[in-house]
Amino acid sequence: MPTSRTAPRRILQGVVGAAAAIALTACGGVKTTSSGGGDGDYPSGNIEFSVGASAGGSSDLITRALAQGISKELGVSTPVLNKPGANGALAAKELQSAKPDGYKIAVQNASLFTITPLTVSPAEATKIDSFDVITGVSRDDYVMATNPKSGFTSIEDLKKAGKTIRYGTTGVGTGAQLASALTFGAADIKSTAVPFDGGAPNLTALLGNQVDVSTMQIGEAIENIKAGKLVPLAVFSKERIPYLPEVKTAIEQGFDVQVTQYRFLTAPKGTPENVKAKLLEAAKKTFATPEYKKFNEENSLTPMEVAPQEVLTSLQNDATTFKSQLDKFGISLTG
Amino acid sequence: MDISPILEGFGVVLEPANLLYCFVGVIIGMLIGVLPGLGPGATIAILLPITYGIGPVSAIIMLAGIFYGAQYGGTITSVLLRLPGEASSVVTVFDGFALAKQGKAGTALGIAAIGSFIGGTVSILGLTLVAPVVAGFAVDFGPPEYAALGILGVLLISSIGNGNKLKAIIAACVGLLIATVGRDTFTGAERFTFGSLNLAEGIDFIPIAMGLFGLSEILYNLEERHNQVHSPAKVGNVWPSRKDLGQAKGAIGRGSLIGFVLGVLPGGGAVLSSLAAYALEKRRAKQPERFGRGAVEGVAAPETANNAAATSSFIPLLTLGIPANATMALIFGALLIQGIQPGPQLVTEHPDVFWGVVNSMYIGNILLLIMSIPMVGVFVRILRVRPAIMAPITVLITLLGAYTVRNQVYDIFLVIVFGVLGYLMKKFGFEPGPLVLAFVLGSMIESSARQSLLIFGGDPAGFLTRPISGTIFALVLLVALWPLIGRFVRRKTPARVEEKISS
Repeated sequence: MPTSRTAPRRILQGVVGAAAAIALTACGGVKTTSSGGGDGDYPSGNIEFSVGASAGGSSDLITRALAQGISKELGVSTPVLNKPGANGALAAKELQSAKPDGYKIAVQNASLFTITPLTVSPAEATKIDSFDVITGVSRDDYVMATNPKSGFTSIEDLKKAGKTIRYGTTGVGTGAQLASALTFGAADIKSTAVPFDGGAPNLTALLGNQVDVSTMQIGEAIENIKAGKLVPLAVFSKERIPYLPEVKTAIEQGFDVQVTQYRFLTAPKGTPENVKAKLLEAAKKTFATPEYKKFNEENSLTPMEVAPQEVLTSLQNDATTFKSQLDKFGISLTG
Repeated sequence: MDISPILEGFGVVLEPANLLYCFVGVIIGMLIGVLPGLGPGATIAILLPITYGIGPVSAIIMLAGIFYGAQYGGTITSVLLRLPGEASSVVTVFDGFALAKQGKAGTALGIAAIGSFIGGTVSILGLTLVAPVVAGFAVDFGPPEYAALGILGVLLISSIGNGNKLKAIIAACVGLLIATVGRDTFTGAERFTFGSLNLAEGIDFIPIAMGLFGLSEILYNLEERHNQVHSPAKVGNVWPSRKDLGQAKGAIGRGSLIGFVLGVLPGGGAVLSSLAAYALEKRRAKQPERFGRGAVEGVAAPETANNAAATSSFIPLLTLGIPANATMALIFGALLIQGIQPGPQLVTEHPDVFWGVVNSMYIGNILLLIMSIPMVGVFVRILRVRPAIMAPITVLITLLGAYTVRNQVYDIFLVIVFGVLGYLMKKFGFEPGPLVLAFVLGSMIESSARQSLLIFGGDPAGFLTRPISGTIFALVLLVALWPLIGRFVRRKTPARVEEKISS
């Protein structure tokens, strides 16, 4: 095995890296990292990526993959700091009040701007105006699935069942909840949402046939779908998803529901143009690397490496569509 | 059963590089386990970037080593400093710290190390032989079963205390109340958040435990030292005697089984297992009043159970792709980084990863046992350090540990608030244990009970008609009525004897 020869050195690097990471973490509260003064020499220090979710989840993994690439391109360290809380709002609030110098940036979720505002007070809602979008990153689509024991294979089957469908969600104000709620609204199916505290308990409940259906991110479900332990009913993207080519979209099945999660790179409002250009260039180079492409595939992510304006338009459209659809069906996400 | 992949797994582990990673993992794990607050979760998050560069098997072997190594290390602070690093070692504090005060810290640590080793090993054997069967059991546990287990847990809390029952109940109620803080996951309604985004997520276990146990103890000792000359803690024997081992034998055996079974349950399995193991030993004991005052079984049972549970919590991850706790979620992430999707097909698609990791645990546990024995002697000496030096260091590490959980200064203030609360509680004779355990179980009971009712369409009869939850509720009833039944039985036996004599 080739690793054995280089292993000791790697471990040494690892230990050094760990020490550095601990040191960086410790410095996080003190403003020592943003030492870059002149605009021309950006970046001259570490670029800190904050994540509004715990380590190990998809937001975290995407941030880490991108941060690693940007670190290589720009030749500086890119520590990733997890600041979970309030669906990412906590980290977002911190980022928007950070100095707009390009040394504190974050990959953020669309749902924080399009869905969460539907469930919290207007004062608490995070606004995209507080940030500069640097680039789109990727799309993370949703799939509605059921336990094979239920016998359902399509949304139509759920309707025919003629009973109240109990569906698991990953919490209030998530895309998973919205997609299910809109589908049942459009199909006129009686339903009850059963919110779980995140993806893992939601998946557990579905595998144990505790709920009739659940909507989750494709990456969470795909292994169990492949193993035949879950049956996919619909995806909520505009077109079919290459990772699950046989699964029909909700639109194909006659229900006008389109909900996707996507992520984009943001910096605090007022970040200088040349800094943003540097970051964009580094991100683009990262997107083009084979490792990053492989990462996307392995995690069932679809690239959405689009210009900032396109991200903003999507966010705007989604927010209005979701609101009007919820109003139309008379659904409240906070049930 | 085809055992060749298992043997090949041993081949993978015994490669020098992998052995080294296993060794490094368990050492890091043990050390960070000793640092209160800085748990395996934070450590693995920091080390995650390093795993990019090494192969999947080595990476996961190391991370797993950190996880179960931390379980060994966590005991040390629970016993010596009254600082449980995780919810599952809260119960260890009761008798562990009492033993340390009597100069028997070595006994407690030695017993814990042996118990941990046996619990861990039994659990790995289970993981090797029956993982898929047990995994099915994990998904049979739906919200109603969790609600029932949680209620059983609360009932057990009331039986483990030794002090004033009323005060224990009051403390438990406060714990339940604290568990309600945060945004309601069902409706998004704000509960006791006072508009603060920091409170919206609820309060984490770490700041509460660090404050109520660690900081409060230090504050209380400071005051005591003012009033009287404090003699340095005695450090007596460093190794458990044969008598201690004999006493702990049964507890270790039962703890292994309880830990293995409950550890499979995602969310709260480890806490429940340590609680249940302790409560069971206390129930079985001829003199239950020894518990809380330095009973060896009181350390052996929970420590064995939580280690067994830590190991079996790998089962849902490796067989279903479900991370059972926050640390498992990180290992899940690490596998994804390596391009491996944990799920039902892991064992067939990546047998090297599955068996490599499982088998590395046998070796890791042996390494930990070997390391623990000399370490006990070293760590026990911590007690000889003057409190004037030890106290500030402990405070610093505690606060740092609390910070690393979410990288928020706010959590440091929470520790201080709970430290003051814990100090006041101690002054007025309240135990922090019931509060912390009720806090952990409270949120579990609330959300699972509400989920169950949504599933049942509002009809609570469903709790009793489902086989598993019905059985647990029957058990709840039995535990609740036990004192009555016990009295009845006891009254009856002597009466019969008298009858015989008179006739």
